[in-house]
Amino acid sequence: MSKPKLAYYLAGGCGGCDIAVVDLSETLVDVALAVDIVFWAPTVADAKYKDLEAMPDGSIDVGLITGNVRNSEHDHIVKVMRKKCKVLIAYGICATSGGIKSLVNLYTTEQLLDKAYVDTMSTDNPDKVIPQTSCIVDSKYDLTLPALFDAKPLDQVVSVDYYIGGCPPHYDHVKTAFTALLTGQLPPPGSWITSGKALCEVCGRNPVLTGKPKKFTTTIKRTFEGTPTEGACLLEEGYLCLGPITQGDCGVKCPNANMPCRGCGGPIPGVKDFGTRAISAIASMLEKEELVDEIPDPVHLFYRYTLAGSALGKKLNR
Amino acid sequence: MQTIEINPMTRLEGHGKIKIFLDDKGNVDNAFMQVVEFMGYEKFLKGMPIEEVPRTVCTICGV
Repeated sequence: MSKPKLAYYLAGGCGGCDIAVVDLSETLVDVALAVDIVFWAPTVADAKYKDLEAMPDGSIDVGLITGNVRNSEHDHIVKVMRKKCKVLIAYGICATSGGIKSLVNLYTTEQLLDKAYVDTMSTDNPDKVIPQTSCIVDSKYDLTLPALFDAKPLDQVVSVDYYIGGCPPHYDHVKTAFTALLTGQLPPPGSWITSGKALCEVCGRNPVLTGKPKKFTTTIKRTFEGTPTEGACLLEEGYLCLGPITQGDCGVKCPNANMPCRGCGGPIPGVKDFGTRAISAIASMLEKEELVDEIPDPVHLFYRYTLAGSALGKKLNR
Repeated sequence: MQTIEINPMTRLEGHGKIKIFLDDKGNVDNAFMQVVEFMGYEKFLKGMPIEEVPRTVCTICGV
Protein backbone atom coordinates (compact mmCIF):
# COMPACT_ATOMS: atom_id res chain seq x y z
CA MET A 1 0.00 0.00 0.00
CA SER A 2 1.35 3.42 -0.88
CA LYS A 3 1.96 5.93 1.90
CA PRO A 4 -0.67 8.58 2.57
CA LYS A 5 0.21 11.90 0.97
CA LEU A 6 0.48 14.89 3.31
CA ALA A 7 0.40 18.60 2.49
CA TYR A 8 0.98 21.41 4.98
CA TYR A 9 0.36 25.11 4.42
CA LEU A 10 1.14 27.94 6.81
CA ALA A 11 -1.27 30.80 6.09
CA GLY A 12 -1.54 33.77 8.52
CA GLY A 13 0.34 32.15 11.36
CA CYS A 14 3.71 32.27 13.08
CA GLY A 15 5.28 28.86 12.39
CA GLY A 16 4.83 27.78 16.02
CA CYS A 17 2.52 24.96 14.93
CA ASP A 18 5.22 23.76 12.51
CA ILE A 19 7.65 23.71 15.43
CA ALA A 20 5.11 21.66 17.43
CA VAL A 21 5.42 18.99 14.70
CA VAL A 22 9.22 19.12 14.94
CA ASP A 23 8.84 18.79 18.73
CA LEU A 24 7.62 15.22 18.14
CA SER A 25 11.39 14.53 18.22
CA GLU A 26 12.02 10.75 17.76
CA THR A 27 8.37 10.18 16.86
CA LEU A 28 8.84 12.61 13.98
CA VAL A 29 11.04 10.00 12.27
CA ASP A 30 8.18 7.48 12.41
CA VAL A 31 5.70 10.05 11.11
CA ALA A 32 8.05 11.13 8.32
CA LEU A 33 8.54 7.50 7.26
CA ALA A 34 4.80 6.78 7.38
CA VAL A 35 3.73 9.62 5.09
CA ASP A 36 4.75 11.09 1.78
CA ILE A 37 5.15 14.85 2.27
CA VAL A 38 4.18 16.39 -1.07
CA PHE A 39 3.94 20.03 0.00
CA TRP A 40 5.02 21.91 3.11
CA ALA A 41 5.39 25.64 2.56
CA PRO A 42 6.79 28.04 3.32
CA THR A 43 8.58 26.60 6.35
CA VAL A 44 9.87 23.09 5.74
CA ALA A 45 9.96 21.87 2.13
CA ASP A 46 11.22 23.82 -0.85
CA ALA A 47 7.81 23.70 -2.55
CA LYS A 48 6.23 26.50 -4.59
CA TYR A 49 2.55 27.40 -4.90
CA LYS A 50 2.57 26.50 -8.60
CA ASP A 51 3.69 22.94 -7.66
CA LEU A 52 0.62 22.60 -5.45
CA GLU A 53 -1.66 24.10 -8.12
CA ALA A 54 -0.34 21.55 -10.66
CA MET A 55 -1.26 18.53 -8.52
CA PRO A 56 -4.44 16.64 -9.52
CA ASP A 57 -7.56 17.47 -7.50
CA GLY A 58 -8.13 15.07 -4.60
CA SER A 59 -4.65 13.58 -4.96
CA ILE A 60 -3.51 14.47 -1.42
CA ASP A 61 -4.83 12.36 1.45
CA VAL A 62 -4.42 14.80 4.32
CA GLY A 63 -3.94 18.55 4.31
CA LEU A 64 -2.99 20.54 7.39
CA ILE A 65 -3.52 24.28 7.41
CA THR A 66 -2.18 26.48 10.16
CA GLY A 67 -2.71 30.20 10.56
CA ASN A 68 -5.79 32.26 9.80
CA VAL A 69 -6.91 33.60 6.41
CA ARG A 70 -5.88 37.24 6.35
CA ASN A 71 -5.08 38.18 2.76
CA SER A 72 -5.90 37.26 -0.84
CA GLU A 73 -2.90 34.93 -1.14
CA HIS A 74 -3.95 32.90 1.93
CA ASP A 75 -7.50 32.82 0.54
CA HIS A 76 -6.32 31.48 -2.82
CA ILE A 77 -3.93 28.81 -1.49
CA VAL A 78 -6.42 27.62 1.14
CA LYS A 79 -8.99 27.07 -1.64
CA VAL A 80 -6.37 25.22 -3.72
CA MET A 81 -5.56 23.05 -0.68
CA ARG A 82 -9.25 22.21 -0.24
CA LYS A 83 -9.44 21.05 -3.87
CA LYS A 84 -6.30 18.92 -3.68
CA CYS A 85 -6.86 17.35 -0.22
CA LYS A 86 -9.35 14.62 0.63
CA VAL A 87 -9.21 15.49 4.34
CA LEU A 88 -8.50 19.03 5.46
CA ILE A 89 -7.51 19.80 9.05
CA ALA A 90 -7.49 23.21 10.74
CA TYR A 91 -4.36 22.77 12.80
CA GLY A 92 -3.78 25.18 15.70
CA ILE A 93 -5.98 27.90 17.15
CA CYS A 94 -5.40 30.48 14.34
CA ALA A 95 -6.82 28.09 11.75
CA THR A 96 -9.66 26.86 13.96
CA SER A 97 -10.76 30.15 15.53
CA GLY A 98 -8.65 33.05 14.27
CA GLY A 99 -5.93 33.08 16.92
CA ILE A 100 -4.12 36.02 18.49
CA LYS A 101 -3.51 37.45 15.02
CA SER A 102 -7.26 37.78 14.50
CA LEU A 103 -7.29 40.58 17.11
CA VAL A 104 -6.58 42.70 14.02
CA ASN A 105 -10.35 42.58 13.52
CA LEU A 106 -10.70 45.12 16.35
CA TYR A 107 -9.49 47.68 13.81
CA THR A 108 -9.83 48.48 10.13
CA THR A 109 -6.98 47.67 7.74
CA GLU A 110 -6.40 51.41 7.30
CA GLN A 111 -6.05 51.95 11.06
CA LEU A 112 -3.59 49.04 11.34
CA LEU A 113 -1.44 50.14 8.41
CA ASP A 114 -1.44 53.72 9.59
CA LYS A 115 -0.17 52.72 13.04
CA ALA A 116 2.55 50.41 11.69
CA TYR A 117 3.82 52.52 8.78
CA VAL A 118 3.08 56.13 9.73
CA ASP A 119 2.16 56.70 13.33
CA THR A 120 4.78 54.87 15.44
CA MET A 121 7.40 56.98 17.22
CA SER A 122 10.28 55.13 15.57
CA THR A 123 8.91 55.51 12.04
CA ASP A 124 10.36 58.06 9.64
CA ASN A 125 7.87 58.15 6.76
CA PRO A 126 7.09 61.81 5.87
CA ASP A 127 5.39 60.83 2.58
CA LYS A 128 3.12 58.42 4.49
CA VAL A 129 3.86 55.55 2.11
CA ILE A 130 1.93 52.38 2.99
CA PRO A 131 1.94 49.02 1.17
CA GLN A 132 -0.16 48.95 -2.04
CA THR A 133 -1.60 45.89 -3.75
CA SER A 134 0.14 46.94 -6.94
CA CYS A 135 2.81 49.45 -7.81
CA ILE A 136 5.19 50.18 -10.67
CA VAL A 137 8.78 50.92 -9.60
CA ASP A 138 10.92 53.14 -11.86
CA SER A 139 8.03 53.14 -14.37
CA LYS A 140 8.85 49.61 -15.56
CA TYR A 141 8.92 47.08 -12.72
CA ASP A 142 5.40 45.89 -12.03
CA LEU A 143 5.04 44.55 -8.47
CA THR A 144 2.01 43.21 -6.61
CA LEU A 145 1.13 42.38 -3.02
CA PRO A 146 -1.84 40.37 -1.70
CA ALA A 147 -4.85 42.43 -0.60
CA LEU A 148 -5.43 42.53 3.17
CA PHE A 149 -8.80 41.86 4.73
CA ASP A 150 -10.20 40.92 8.16
CA ALA A 151 -8.76 37.72 9.60
CA LYS A 152 -10.99 34.67 9.27
CA PRO A 153 -10.78 31.18 10.70
CA LEU A 154 -10.36 28.50 8.05
CA ASP A 155 -13.97 27.32 8.12
CA GLN A 156 -15.23 30.74 7.05
CA VAL A 157 -13.45 30.17 3.71
CA VAL A 158 -13.53 26.42 3.00
CA SER A 159 -15.13 23.35 4.55
CA VAL A 160 -12.99 21.83 7.31
CA ASP A 161 -12.98 18.13 8.26
CA TYR A 162 -11.20 18.26 11.63
CA TYR A 163 -10.02 20.84 14.14
CA ILE A 164 -6.96 20.75 16.39
CA GLY A 165 -6.61 23.55 18.95
CA GLY A 166 -3.60 24.96 20.76
CA CYS A 167 -1.16 27.81 20.39
CA PRO A 168 0.70 25.77 19.46
CA PRO A 169 -0.75 22.28 20.04
CA HIS A 170 1.26 20.39 22.67
CA TYR A 171 3.55 17.81 21.05
CA ASP A 172 1.92 14.96 22.98
CA HIS A 173 -1.42 16.04 21.53
CA VAL A 174 0.12 16.33 18.05
CA LYS A 175 1.33 12.75 18.50
CA THR A 176 -2.17 11.60 19.52
CA ALA A 177 -3.69 13.41 16.54
CA PHE A 178 -1.16 12.02 14.03
CA THR A 179 -1.63 8.51 15.43
CA ALA A 180 -5.41 8.88 15.05
CA LEU A 181 -4.92 10.10 11.49
CA LEU A 182 -2.52 7.34 10.45
CA THR A 183 -4.60 4.56 12.00
CA GLY A 184 -7.88 5.97 10.72
CA GLN A 185 -9.33 6.21 14.25
CA LEU A 186 -10.89 9.59 13.72
CA PRO A 187 -14.00 11.13 15.26
CA PRO A 188 -16.94 12.07 13.00
CA PRO A 189 -16.04 14.73 10.37
CA GLY A 190 -16.44 18.26 11.66
CA SER A 191 -15.13 17.32 15.12
CA TRP A 192 -12.23 18.65 17.12
CA ILE A 193 -9.49 16.10 17.73
CA THR A 194 -9.31 16.36 21.51
CA SER A 195 -9.49 14.29 24.67
CA GLY A 196 -12.76 16.17 25.30
CA LYS A 197 -11.61 17.18 28.77
CA ALA A 198 -11.47 20.76 30.03
CA LEU A 199 -8.17 21.99 31.39
CA CYS A 200 -9.66 22.02 34.91
CA GLU A 201 -10.42 18.29 34.62
CA VAL A 202 -6.72 17.50 34.25
CA CYS A 203 -5.25 20.35 36.33
CA GLY A 204 -3.55 19.34 39.58
CA ARG A 205 -4.63 22.67 41.09
CA ASN A 206 -8.34 21.82 40.82
CA PRO A 207 -9.61 21.30 44.39
CA VAL A 208 -12.61 19.27 43.18
CA LEU A 209 -10.29 16.50 41.95
CA THR A 210 -9.09 15.93 45.52
CA GLY A 211 -12.59 16.04 46.99
CA LYS A 212 -12.41 19.60 48.30
CA PRO A 213 -15.19 22.14 47.70
CA LYS A 214 -14.78 24.78 45.01
CA LYS A 215 -14.64 28.31 46.40
CA PHE A 216 -15.82 31.52 44.77
CA THR A 217 -13.37 34.09 43.44
CA THR A 218 -13.40 36.94 45.99
CA THR A 219 -10.84 39.27 44.42
CA ILE A 220 -9.42 39.98 40.94
CA LYS A 221 -5.64 39.92 40.67
CA ARG A 222 -3.28 40.63 37.80
CA THR A 223 -0.52 38.08 37.30
CA PHE A 224 2.19 40.30 38.78
CA GLU A 225 0.23 40.82 42.00
CA GLY A 226 1.49 38.39 44.64
CA THR A 227 2.44 34.76 44.10
CA PRO A 228 -0.19 32.04 43.87
CA THR A 229 -0.26 29.57 46.76
CA GLU A 230 1.44 26.36 45.68
CA GLY A 231 -1.09 23.86 44.40
CA ALA A 232 -4.05 26.21 44.87
CA CYS A 233 -6.61 26.89 42.12
CA LEU A 234 -5.62 30.09 40.32
CA LEU A 235 -9.26 31.14 39.94
CA GLU A 236 -9.87 30.80 43.67
CA GLU A 237 -6.80 32.95 44.24
CA GLY A 238 -8.20 35.67 41.97
CA TYR A 239 -6.14 35.06 38.84
CA LEU A 240 -8.65 34.80 35.98
CA CYS A 241 -7.94 31.41 34.43
CA LEU A 242 -9.94 30.17 31.44
CA GLY A 243 -9.36 26.51 32.31
CA PRO A 244 -13.06 25.69 32.83
CA ILE A 245 -13.91 26.12 29.14
CA THR A 246 -10.56 25.38 27.44
CA GLN A 247 -9.54 22.00 26.03
CA GLY A 248 -7.02 20.38 28.34
CA ASP A 249 -4.77 18.69 25.77
CA CYS A 250 -1.89 21.04 26.57
CA GLY A 251 -0.25 19.28 29.49
CA VAL A 252 -1.51 22.09 31.81
CA LYS A 253 1.71 23.97 31.03
CA CYS A 254 0.57 27.47 32.00
CA PRO A 255 -1.13 26.77 35.38
CA ASN A 256 1.81 24.52 36.31
CA ALA A 257 4.01 27.58 35.80
CA ASN A 258 1.71 29.77 37.96
CA MET A 259 0.23 31.39 34.84
CA PRO A 260 -3.55 31.36 34.34
CA CYS A 261 -4.91 29.77 31.16
CA ARG A 262 -5.79 32.16 28.33
CA GLY A 263 -7.74 29.69 26.24
CA CYS A 264 -5.37 28.77 23.42
CA GLY A 265 -6.61 25.18 23.38
CA GLY A 266 -9.96 26.22 21.99
CA PRO A 267 -13.44 25.51 23.35
CA ILE A 268 -14.41 22.26 25.07
CA PRO A 269 -16.83 20.10 23.05
CA GLY A 270 -20.32 21.53 22.81
CA VAL A 271 -19.15 25.14 23.02
CA LYS A 272 -19.40 27.05 19.76
CA ASP A 273 -18.48 30.55 20.87
CA PHE A 274 -15.52 30.47 23.24
CA GLY A 275 -15.61 34.12 24.32
CA THR A 276 -19.24 34.27 25.41
CA ARG A 277 -18.95 30.97 27.27
CA ALA A 278 -15.74 32.16 28.93
CA ILE A 279 -17.48 35.33 30.13
CA SER A 280 -20.39 33.32 31.45
CA ALA A 281 -18.12 30.75 33.16
CA ILE A 282 -15.93 33.35 34.86
CA ALA A 283 -18.91 35.51 35.87
CA SER A 284 -20.55 32.51 37.55
CA MET A 285 -17.46 32.00 39.73
CA LEU A 286 -17.23 35.56 41.05
CA GLU A 287 -18.46 36.10 44.61
CA LYS A 288 -20.14 39.40 43.82
CA GLU A 289 -21.21 41.24 40.69
CA GLU A 290 -19.06 44.32 41.39
CA LEU A 291 -15.92 42.26 40.66
CA VAL A 292 -16.84 42.27 36.96
CA ASP A 293 -15.84 45.93 36.76
CA GLU A 294 -12.35 45.04 37.99
CA ILE A 295 -11.56 42.71 35.08
CA PRO A 296 -8.91 44.52 33.06
CA ASP A 297 -9.32 44.58 29.28
CA PRO A 298 -12.02 41.91 28.78
CA VAL A 299 -11.74 41.66 24.98
CA HIS A 300 -8.04 40.74 25.03
CA LEU A 301 -8.75 38.26 27.84
CA PHE A 302 -11.88 36.42 26.74
CA TYR A 303 -11.41 36.72 22.97
CA ARG A 304 -7.63 36.56 22.75
CA TYR A 305 -7.56 33.47 20.55
CA THR A 306 -11.05 33.36 19.09
CA LEU A 307 -12.19 36.83 18.07
CA ALA A 308 -12.53 36.13 14.34
CA GLY A 309 -14.56 32.97 14.90
CA SER A 310 -16.87 34.51 17.49
CA ALA A 311 -20.31 36.10 17.22
CA LEU A 312 -18.82 39.31 18.66
CA GLY A 313 -16.25 39.32 15.86
CA LYS A 314 -19.01 40.07 13.35
CA LYS A 315 -20.41 43.02 15.27
CA LEU A 316 -17.43 45.23 16.00
CA ASN A 317 -17.83 48.96 15.92
CA ARG A 318 -14.51 50.24 14.54
CA MET B 1 9.91 42.23 -19.94
CA GLN B 2 10.37 38.59 -19.00
CA THR B 3 10.04 37.78 -15.30
CA ILE B 4 10.76 34.92 -12.96
CA GLU B 5 8.72 34.66 -9.77
CA ILE B 6 9.82 32.62 -6.77
CA ASN B 7 6.77 32.26 -4.54
CA PRO B 8 6.92 31.48 -1.71
CA MET B 9 10.41 31.90 -0.37
CA THR B 10 10.85 28.71 1.63
CA ARG B 11 12.45 27.30 4.77
CA LEU B 12 11.56 30.35 6.77
CA GLU B 13 8.62 31.61 8.77
CA GLY B 14 6.87 34.61 7.30
CA HIS B 15 5.79 34.91 3.72
CA GLY B 16 7.99 36.41 1.05
CA LYS B 17 8.37 36.27 -2.69
CA ILE B 18 11.06 37.20 -5.15
CA LYS B 19 10.42 38.71 -8.57
CA ILE B 20 13.30 38.82 -11.04
CA PHE B 21 13.10 40.98 -14.18
CA LEU B 22 15.16 39.87 -17.18
CA ASP B 23 16.41 42.04 -20.04
CA ASP B 24 16.27 41.20 -23.78
CA LYS B 25 19.35 39.00 -23.54
CA GLY B 26 17.94 37.05 -20.63
CA ASN B 27 20.26 38.61 -18.06
CA VAL B 28 18.99 39.90 -14.74
CA ASP B 29 17.92 43.52 -15.04
CA ASN B 30 16.53 43.91 -11.53
CA ALA B 31 15.19 41.79 -8.68
CA PHE B 32 12.81 42.51 -5.80
CA MET B 33 12.22 40.66 -2.56
CA GLN B 34 8.79 41.37 -1.14
CA VAL B 35 7.37 40.56 2.27
CA VAL B 36 3.75 39.77 1.46
CA GLU B 37 2.45 39.61 5.01
CA PHE B 38 1.29 42.24 7.45
CA MET B 39 0.29 41.56 11.05
CA GLY B 40 -0.63 44.72 12.98
CA TYR B 41 0.53 43.99 16.54
CA GLU B 42 1.48 47.66 16.91
CA LYS B 43 -2.20 48.52 16.92
CA PHE B 44 -4.11 45.59 18.30
CA LEU B 45 -2.06 45.29 21.50
CA LYS B 46 -3.38 48.68 22.54
CA GLY B 47 -5.17 48.39 25.87
CA MET B 48 -3.68 45.02 26.78
CA PRO B 49 -2.25 44.82 30.34
CA ILE B 50 1.54 45.01 30.02
CA GLU B 51 2.09 41.72 31.88
CA GLU B 52 0.09 39.91 29.17
CA VAL B 53 2.15 41.29 26.30
CA PRO B 54 5.17 38.91 26.45
CA ARG B 55 3.00 35.79 26.08
CA THR B 56 1.10 37.47 23.24
CA VAL B 57 3.90 38.88 21.08
CA CYS B 58 5.71 35.52 21.05
CA THR B 59 3.27 34.70 18.25
CA ILE B 60 4.84 37.28 15.95
CA CYS B 61 7.20 34.44 15.04
CA GLY B 62 6.92 31.01 16.59
CA VAL B 63 10.08 29.54 15.11
